[in-house]
Amino acid sequence: MAKERTFLPRIINAAIFILMEVAALQMLSRNADLQQIWIARAAHGVMGTVWGSTQAVANYFNLRRINEDLARENFELREELDSYRTLAHAQRADSMGVARGQIRGFDYIPAEVIKISRNKQHNYIILNKGYEDGIQEKSGIITRSGVVGIVDAVSAHYSYAFSFQNSDISISGRLGDEGATGLLVWDGVKSNGAVLQEVPLQYKYAVGDTVYTSGHSLMFPPDIPLGIAGEARVINGATNEIRVDLFQDFTAIRYVTVVHNTAFEEVEDFNL
Amino acid sequence: MRKTGFVLVYVLLAVVQMLICNYFNLSPYLMLSILPVMVLCLPLRVPTFWALIIAFVTGLSVDLLSEGVLGLNVLALVPVAFVRKEVIRLIFGGELFARKEDFSLRKNGFGKVTLSIFLVQALFLLIYIWADGAGTRSFQFNAIRFGVSLLTGIVVSLLVVDILAPDTRK
Repeated sequence: MAKERTFLPRIINAAIFILMEVAALQMLSRNADLQQIWIARAAHGVMGTVWGSTQAVANYFNLRRINEDLARENFELREELDSYRTLAHAQRADSMGVARGQIRGFDYIPAEVIKISRNKQHNYIILNKGYEDGIQEKSGIITRSGVVGIVDAVSAHYSYAFSFQNSDISISGRLGDEGATGLLVWDGVKSNGAVLQEVPLQYKYAVGDTVYTSGHSLMFPPDIPLGIAGEARVINGATNEIRVDLFQDFTAIRYVTVVHNTAFEEVEDFNL
Repeated sequence: MRKTGFVLVYVLLAVVQMLICNYFNLSPYLMLSILPVMVLCLPLRVPTFWALIIAFVTGLSVDLLSEGVLGLNVLALVPVAFVRKEVIRLIFGGELFARKEDFSLRKNGFGKVTLSIFLVQALFLLIYIWADGAGTRSFQFNAIRFGVSLLTGIVVSLLVVDILAPDTRK
């Protein structure tokens, strides 16, 4: 009770003190140009700091929406790029006398990773989109940094996929723009480590060459950069096995694009 | 000192401060002010609320009636009134409040009174010189002005203490 009796007057005194100081500053700024500039500059500084801080906080909470916008924009750009690639292939096919019907395209669907495992030999990914969103089995999963995995099963709203960090997964990779192709598999050790297997010995390459998707796997469009080629070793005197440092950082995957070859089922029918 | 006597002396000292502001311009490095010690010497029975009002009115009167910038003395003097009781409690202890006595040079000693004057004078001058310079004066100029004004102010303030807070013991 005694504390309450002393607390209230202190608050009142502090409030009156602040009011009087504000009044004094107001008088100063109205009656002296120099002080007016000085006070205005200080006030602007304080306002800038306060508004800058609040804007930084607001920006932080907007990051999710911004990321989603970027993912959507990325997806639209991929679709546009794919249409140009299809057009370029068509023109090349025309010049080689190939019929237009043989040119295939891909569907792109943006998705978000809701669960991913990384510390096993058979890692998996769960996406927040399912068959109601257009996701189909045997679709590829990519980001701007490379290949992430392959969709294995889909429910209405979710998809289960094998991560590239899975000893059962291999994708077709190509050395450089027009080099040899081989099977790219995870090395099972490093997060960004892979090996390009079964590269014929007669094909020459240089350490530092970029490894791309070859387009032979049906699941992934060609020419997606995957990583950088490193040292090679000869396997059984017949083929090279080339170490590859992947561009994809599997510890920071959130937004991905699911790609599905529109001609997949038709081509798969030949594998009876 | 009786209440009416104190008020009269206080007003007269405020007039003296106005005269100092108008005619005592010896150097740009010297800002002589007895306002902080006047507020410090307000009787202890005056609550902080009224001390704030008195400081505001005193500062405003000096600003209006002298050649200063309106608001400058108010800005520097009101904080002195706000911390007055805390300074007295810190330097002289809580006994003064318990006995409801005011401090004086003879009763509380030259050292303690000087220290309390130093604190309020320093607070007043820091704000006054900072606001008066408005960011245009160099740190060196402000520091010299602060030092010179503080030393001079303490000497003159000791005289004011003797006038405003005389020893009432017979």
